[in-house]
Amino acid sequence: MADENATVVLDRVNEPPAQTWNRLRANDITLTVPKISRKGDVYFALPQLFSHIECGMGEKVTSWVTSQAADARYVEVPAHTVREEPIVVAVDTDKGEVADTGVMVRAGATVSIVVAAGGRNAGSTTSASLLRVVAEEGAHVTITEVVGVGSSQQHLESVGVDADDDARIEVRQYALGGGTVAFGTAVSLSGDRARANIGLRYFADGKDRLDVNHVVRQRGKNTIAHVRENGILDDAAEKALRATIDLVHGARGSKGDEAENVLVFGDDVVNKTVPVILCDEDDVQGNHGATIGTVGPEQMDYLADRGLSRKDAEALFVRALFEDAIINAPEAHAHDVAVRQAERVLGAQVAHDFDASAQLAEGEEA
Amino acid sequence: MTKERTQVADVDRSLYDFTKSEEGYERYADGLTPDIVRAISAKKDEPQWMLDLRLKALDEYHRRPMATNWGPSIAGLDLDHISTYVSPKTKQASSWDDVPADIKDTFERLGIPEAERESLAGVGAQYDSEIVYHNMREEVAKQGVVYTTIEDALHDPTWEPVVHEYFGTLIPMTDHKFAALHYAVWSGGSFVYVPAGVSLDYPLQSYFRLNAQGAGQFEHTLIIVEPGANLHFIEGCSAPKYYEANLHAGAVELFVKDGARLRYSTIENWSKNMYNLNTKHATVGADAKMEWVSGSFGSHVSYLYPTTILAGDRSSCEFTGITFSGATQDLDTGCKVILNGRDTTASVSTKSISKDGGINTFRSSVVVGRHADNARCTVSCQSLMLDNISRSDTIPAMDVRNPSASVGHEATIGRISDDTILYLMSRGCSEQEARTLVVNGFANPVSKELPMEYAVEMNNLIKLEMEGAIG
Amino acid sequence: MADTLLDVSGISAGTEDKPILHGVDLKVGAGETHVLMGPNGAGKSTLGHVIMGDPTYKVTSGTITFDGQDITELSPDKRSLAGIFLSYQAPVEVPGVPLYSFLRSISQMRPELKCTAREFRRRVGAIADELNLDQSFLMRELNVGFSGGEKKKIEMLQLLLLQPKLAILDETDSGLDVDALATVSHGIQRYRETVGGALIMITHNTRILERLTVDRTHVMVKGHLVAEGPASLIDDIDKNGFERFGSQAAGEGDAR
Repeated sequence: MADENATVVLDRVNEPPAQTWNRLRANDITLTVPKISRKGDVYFALPQLFSHIECGMGEKVTSWVTSQAADARYVEVPAHTVREEPIVVAVDTDKGEVADTGVMVRAGATVSIVVAAGGRNAGSTTSASLLRVVAEEGAHVTITEVVGVGSSQQHLESVGVDADDDARIEVRQYALGGGTVAFGTAVSLSGDRARANIGLRYFADGKDRLDVNHVVRQRGKNTIAHVRENGILDDAAEKALRATIDLVHGARGSKGDEAENVLVFGDDVVNKTVPVILCDEDDVQGNHGATIGTVGPEQMDYLADRGLSRKDAEALFVRALFEDAIINAPEAHAHDVAVRQAERVLGAQVAHDFDASAQLAEGEEA
Repeated sequence: MTKERTQVADVDRSLYDFTKSEEGYERYADGLTPDIVRAISAKKDEPQWMLDLRLKALDEYHRRPMATNWGPSIAGLDLDHISTYVSPKTKQASSWDDVPADIKDTFERLGIPEAERESLAGVGAQYDSEIVYHNMREEVAKQGVVYTTIEDALHDPTWEPVVHEYFGTLIPMTDHKFAALHYAVWSGGSFVYVPAGVSLDYPLQSYFRLNAQGAGQFEHTLIIVEPGANLHFIEGCSAPKYYEANLHAGAVELFVKDGARLRYSTIENWSKNMYNLNTKHATVGADAKMEWVSGSFGSHVSYLYPTTILAGDRSSCEFTGITFSGATQDLDTGCKVILNGRDTTASVSTKSISKDGGINTFRSSVVVGRHADNARCTVSCQSLMLDNISRSDTIPAMDVRNPSASVGHEATIGRISDDTILYLMSRGCSEQEARTLVVNGFANPVSKELPMEYAVEMNNLIKLEMEGAIG
Repeated sequence: MADTLLDVSGISAGTEDKPILHGVDLKVGAGETHVLMGPNGAGKSTLGHVIMGDPTYKVTSGTITFDGQDITELSPDKRSLAGIFLSYQAPVEVPGVPLYSFLRSISQMRPELKCTAREFRRRVGAIADELNLDQSFLMRELNVGFSGGEKKKIEMLQLLLLQPKLAILDETDSGLDVDALATVSHGIQRYRETVGGALIMITHNTRILERLTVDRTHVMVKGHLVAEGPASLIDDIDKNGFERFGSQAAGEGDAR
């Protein structure tokens, strides 16, 4: 049995390729995680090619997860097939589960991968999911991550994707709160015309801590990367987001853009944003933007005319975010995580109200 | 077909690239020891507190490691072989005729006295480690404006306490390794005092020239603009090209009091063997305004991030900058803004141009403190890539701790579109002319903030850089 | 026909992956007004850009002769200085470059237009008045933030200032309101009257042609010039459209 008190410190986690002043304390996060004490055991490991994939949270987290997770899970999606059922990675955070998943999406195949991490806040645990994906030529991969853990829990969510020619990568992330949640996502658009869409929506309140590192490496010609982060911070939540668009030499004709929108509601919020463009090629377009603030005066005036106070208006934005997570959760585990966090933040009544409307909407579609 | 040359075409490198003999100059041994620091201090006949400060800074310098995750390498800089103090054999002159011939010739070629006659309220000129010329219009002096060297201010019983009160308080010697070095060996620079309510119609100008080879320039500029006063200060820098590394580690401390306004303009054209590790800080009082205009063209490596602390309520700052990085240049530039007062506003607009393998890194930080209610800050950053062997990185950081603040950032990187070149060529511009036109246009928001002769100089520098193009 | 000014002979051209023009022949005499019509995507604008020397399009065969000189290989700036002017459908914005100093530079490049600053000021002022352009426009950045109509007026301003031997107006009338259209068409008339240069009008809209004396009309379909005729051909097309030319283009490898 593992000694539960034994821990190891992982430093320089979620470190972006280029950094800012150390004194801003925005360059990385240091995490204390349980120590592996299963020395001598041999686990099923992923094929070696996965070890070359850059993962968002960095090497240290990758090697910690691979040694901590019992067996790695390898899934292959055969060429030119559409996998109907999503590949689901369900992490029970109450049990401090750690998952190590590798997915090989062969040429022209289509697949949806879901990571759902949550629990009932039973115990101060650390959980993690490491997902590595190889997307061959023309593959279509949709990754949905829904993470909502208890206020005394910690979750590490690391993703690495390598995309070949014409591959399309959709990443939809929902960070719905928790003690310490870290998202690290690295997508390498290695092939020509590969595309990535990354969308993160987040909510953090209380003393939640959220740390995000998004890295898109654009290596192939005519690649397109589109990264959007939208979030709400309340109370004394602390968030750091680093987003890097790396236009590598040779990526002619590529376009990368990134934008973050943060709504700050709480008086004690700490919001750090470091959007980075690295550019080593002239025939490219790189853009990024960030807006940080509260509900704009024009929006506020409009909502006031409809009878909403500032607090009401803020609640409206929070509700919309959870609604979006619940509606877009592609399967039961992810749905449960989103509903559970909505119950915690908005109360059961509101959460179930829009969960019901979500089901109604689905019913109409069908 | 004969090509018409436009009026700005008649520039050549020799304007900046000429050297003068340093024979007979007082040059201290290379490297850095307490003895050298004592010698500099003794030569300047300084008060004890200044010597103490220098020695403490030297300690700090030796103790402090370099950050390991910083951009451009400064491995080529060997401090054991940089002379920290080189002084020409001359006393400071207040009449141009008294300046030694070779130095006079240098500044005349750079157009310094000419500029003074035309449109400046006062001029200072530093050659290597010492100020060689200082002069100010009489009517400006009559208003109580002081423009002198820190050395002279220290010898004046009226101003010594003022220098003591302010010197080294805005840029702590612990700021970074080169700030510590600066305080240990600083020499030359300016002390400017503008009394309350006094508004100068013309700018004051300082020109810095580093002629000596393998040497450092460590001037200290201390400017105090009292409440309601208004000043425009211009600094220009240049140096001839050597193969041996030169170092510039100046410090600029700007105190802008309540309701005052200070504009600080810099055109920097250090030669491409220069490590320009300069530090500039401003603190801005209530209802006061700080404006930075910055053009960086020269140096081999630059670390340059002017910092503004908006301390007073309703204070504001504007930063307008351009950096042009050509062959062998790795320029890490940007700015920092700290918004602490209520209703403060900051606006940052920067441009960068990368060419012939040059590397540009834009770095900024915007920090909004807990009490900065309704603080507003916008940062806009545009980078132009002129070829595919150059590089341009944009690394902004924002730290916001007040919910009523609003912070916006936007950046774009790209090249000149083929359509633009074609459009201009279809009206008769050659491809070269078209590219120069677009680059000048790109730089225009900065050059239009500069006084005429500096704007012309900047356009000349751009033209010079553009003509160096292959193909 | 007057002395041939422009002779496009057997031009085939296209982008790297797509041929657009197929063996196009077009002759324009000095001072003549030609109209180039055809459905959307026929290659009319491409022909204009190929005559101007746009490197986007590669000429795979044929020659272009202008004013007795083979210009097929010349860059756009050389063609411009030789006397060709192309008015853009969508003039490009050039931030930071004031319109006035741009106009000054491009006219000083032409020996025949060189003049003193004072004379230049007067000339530009007169043309601006002619085009109902407020003088304050001259201090603004080239095309930046201008409306569609204003951009077209700026193109006309350059046309009247540069006095080219041949002006190719690419859909200069498109997207303009009635007032702007009147001003632009006045500008075109002024060019005809004062400069007497030749004109190729690329257009869908026959209204702008009402006040012009058209010498020849050409019809382009799918990259081929399929018909050429007198001014009356315009009315014909106005009534019957381009449909009847469609089969011709598909059938013939070589136009006409």
